[in-house]
Amino acid sequence: MNIIEAKNLTKHFDGVLAIDRLSFSVANGTITGIIGPNGSGKTTLTNILSGMIPKDNGMIIIDGVALERLKSYDARRYGIARTFQNVRVFEQMSVLDNLLVVVTERNVWGALFERHGEYHRARVLEVLERIGLRDKQTALARTLSYGQRKLLEIGRALLTDARVYLFDEPFAGLFPEMAKLIVTIIHELKADGKTVILIEHNMELIRELCDTVIVMDSGRLLAEGAPKNVLKKREVLEAYLGE
Amino acid sequence: MDYIIHLLIFISIYAILAMSLNLLVGYTGLLSVTHAAFYGVGAYTTALLMKFAGFNFFIALAIGVVIALIASFLIGLVISKLSGDYYALGSLGFNIIVFTIFLNWQTLTRGPLGIPGIPRPELFGFTFSGNIAYLALSFAFAVLVYLACRFIIGSSFGRALKAIREDEEALKCFGYHTSVYKLVIFAIAAGFASVAGALYASYITFVDPTTFYLPESVLLLSMIILGGLSNLQGSVIGAAVLILLPEALRFVGFPDTIAAQLRLFVYGLLIVLLMLYRPQGIRGEYKL
Amino acid sequence: MSILPQLIINSIIAGATYTLITLGFNLAYGTTKFLNAVHGSLAAVAGYIVFFLGRSFGLSIVPSAALGIFGASVLGVVIWRLVFRPLRHRGASPAVLFLSSLGVFTMIQAVLAILFTSQFQQLGNVGSPRYEFFGAVITKPQVIIILAGIFIFATLFILLNKTMFGKAVKAIADDEEVARIIGIQTDSVTTLVFAISSGIAGLAGILIGIDIGIQPTMGLWVFLEGAISAIVGGIGNIYGGVLGSFLLGFAENFGIWKISGAWKPAIAFGILIVFLTLRPKGIVRN
Repeated sequence: MNIIEAKNLTKHFDGVLAIDRLSFSVANGTITGIIGPNGSGKTTLTNILSGMIPKDNGMIIIDGVALERLKSYDARRYGIARTFQNVRVFEQMSVLDNLLVVVTERNVWGALFERHGEYHRARVLEVLERIGLRDKQTALARTLSYGQRKLLEIGRALLTDARVYLFDEPFAGLFPEMAKLIVTIIHELKADGKTVILIEHNMELIRELCDTVIVMDSGRLLAEGAPKNVLKKREVLEAYLGE
Repeated sequence: MDYIIHLLIFISIYAILAMSLNLLVGYTGLLSVTHAAFYGVGAYTTALLMKFAGFNFFIALAIGVVIALIASFLIGLVISKLSGDYYALGSLGFNIIVFTIFLNWQTLTRGPLGIPGIPRPELFGFTFSGNIAYLALSFAFAVLVYLACRFIIGSSFGRALKAIREDEEALKCFGYHTSVYKLVIFAIAAGFASVAGALYASYITFVDPTTFYLPESVLLLSMIILGGLSNLQGSVIGAAVLILLPEALRFVGFPDTIAAQLRLFVYGLLIVLLMLYRPQGIRGEYKL
Repeated sequence: MSILPQLIINSIIAGATYTLITLGFNLAYGTTKFLNAVHGSLAAVAGYIVFFLGRSFGLSIVPSAALGIFGASVLGVVIWRLVFRPLRHRGASPAVLFLSSLGVFTMIQAVLAILFTSQFQQLGNVGSPRYEFFGAVITKPQVIIILAGIFIFATLFILLNKTMFGKAVKAIADDEEVARIIGIQTDSVTTLVFAISSGIAGLAGILIGIDIGIQPTMGLWVFLEGAISAIVGGIGNIYGGVLGSFLLGFAENFGIWKISGAWKPAIAFGILIVFLTLRPKGIVRN
């Protein structure tokens, strides 16, 4: 079954086509890689799928429900979580607060009368353990290293209990041991039956992790299929070499 | 001695204004340039109800808070969709509109003449006419507001406010309706400012529009930036310093009109210098 | 006699005045991307320079206006160098820059009030010639405002479209980083932009002073009318600003047709709020 389907998705920026009649589908419980040269529309696609920017045209179908308009604060209801290419943690807040804010009450009045209970704290500590930041919990997010901040973002996403995880270049600029940690987390998500959509430049990682790969060029779908088939295709190689 | 008590009363009133503004600017990162308007709403409501309708101070204060909540809710509906400098400009616009109403709705507010002869508060037959009694009253309110602010900041709501300040768009992705949060904190801050207004009106026993205009909002901003954003004690310190500083100017012996302008000059200068050299103020945990 | 011709004339005069303010405001906004309240202060400063030179040295209006424009321009550049440029280098947000400009604005207003009192002052000769047509009256200073608006608009149009400087300004407005990489001296271009925009603000202040008068608090109105016209027209867009100015001029003057002129600020902000909520990018979208 497909958890996400996009049909004829289109997006303009100031007259420039960023996404051009893009159609693809993502099967539930799989890891899908999105690759393509810089400026091919990968991040725009992530932003549309997470509701951060509206699409111009086309259809997004999430778990069989066609969405006319997806707002970013609704994305969570549909089970979508994301990270950002240019890390966006809450800089002047502690690591603990960065994670707590994801799990605590979101209704305004409920939140006003909620102190962070043991229940929330236990869940957060569990995730802190998974991302290896347990001894950093009182540190301000801005004091963390680049890699640690990326892990913190992944931690935030994990805490949403989403069904679909959009990871925008999670491995870029990371040391091997941190990359390994993220690979483990992605495997664990798949084992849990979750869906992961991964934007990545590293072909080794794409081959190793992904069930399916979607190749984009100039906002269009260039190829779609299993990595071992797709990555051999001539036009895919050309799109990269021609960069 | 009476002079010192007078200053302490003023510090209490401005501490309420500064702490509540800090909820917006320091904790939520919303540069509101309209706080003086709600201060004025509280002052005018109390003045009118006490003087012309014979209301008890505490009831007038409560009604003032309700009116400030309603006004801020309506204003907030508009500006909560904005952020950054647009939020600041939009809020500044409302300060001017509210001032224009104070000045021009003459049948109600007597316009530039102001409203003199506002009575002092009364509770169970006791009148807060002496300054020591009034200090006790305003200090008690300041403590209440401080505790309320603590409560808000310590809640999950308070944590979400900080996240809005850090990255509103990112927080939305976690399912937060951030504009509702911005609206609610705007209304809460306005309610507190209105309490300060009631205390001011009944203490000075006179209100006029100029007290609640833009320079006052600028003064409040320099107080919280000086004390340190995102820090409640800082706001109290900032309020105390900026209440006492002009008194020093007065002792130097400038004529009143010049001293008033000199004060404004110092507030402006403080904002510029702090932004340039110490954006975290005296005790701030957050830089704008 | 119908009041309509006079209302239209008044609206056009207001529109031309706001155009003058907004042209400079948008020019600076395009490169620096923040709402600068000091723009209004500089109009007041220029007005007071003219006032001072006339009162103390008996200097006639043309040379003192030239000095007033020059003074505003220099002060604008000094403030840019001392306050805004260092803040921008540190990556300050538009809100911080706006707040700082409000600080400088407050300082300038206080200094003007200390030096010249808060009194309302008239610049130039009050009994200036008046012209009449279709039952509407227009004074000579008001004609000059309209001509100045056209002149400055034309000059900026040529400057931005036909010169290297204009290309550089547009490149910086698009992306300062890229502009620097392709070899544009962004720092000197921005300084020059500030000098020009501040000078135009000065000219606007002097013309307002001759038409209506000056007061230390006038800076606030100059800034707000400029900012509102700019936002309504599409911020940073020189041509949109002209549309915004005339829209504001007409709305204000027709708005106070039935109610007291004291509510003009409320009308101006009403328009701003309508635009901020319904069409935040203004009439002309970039």
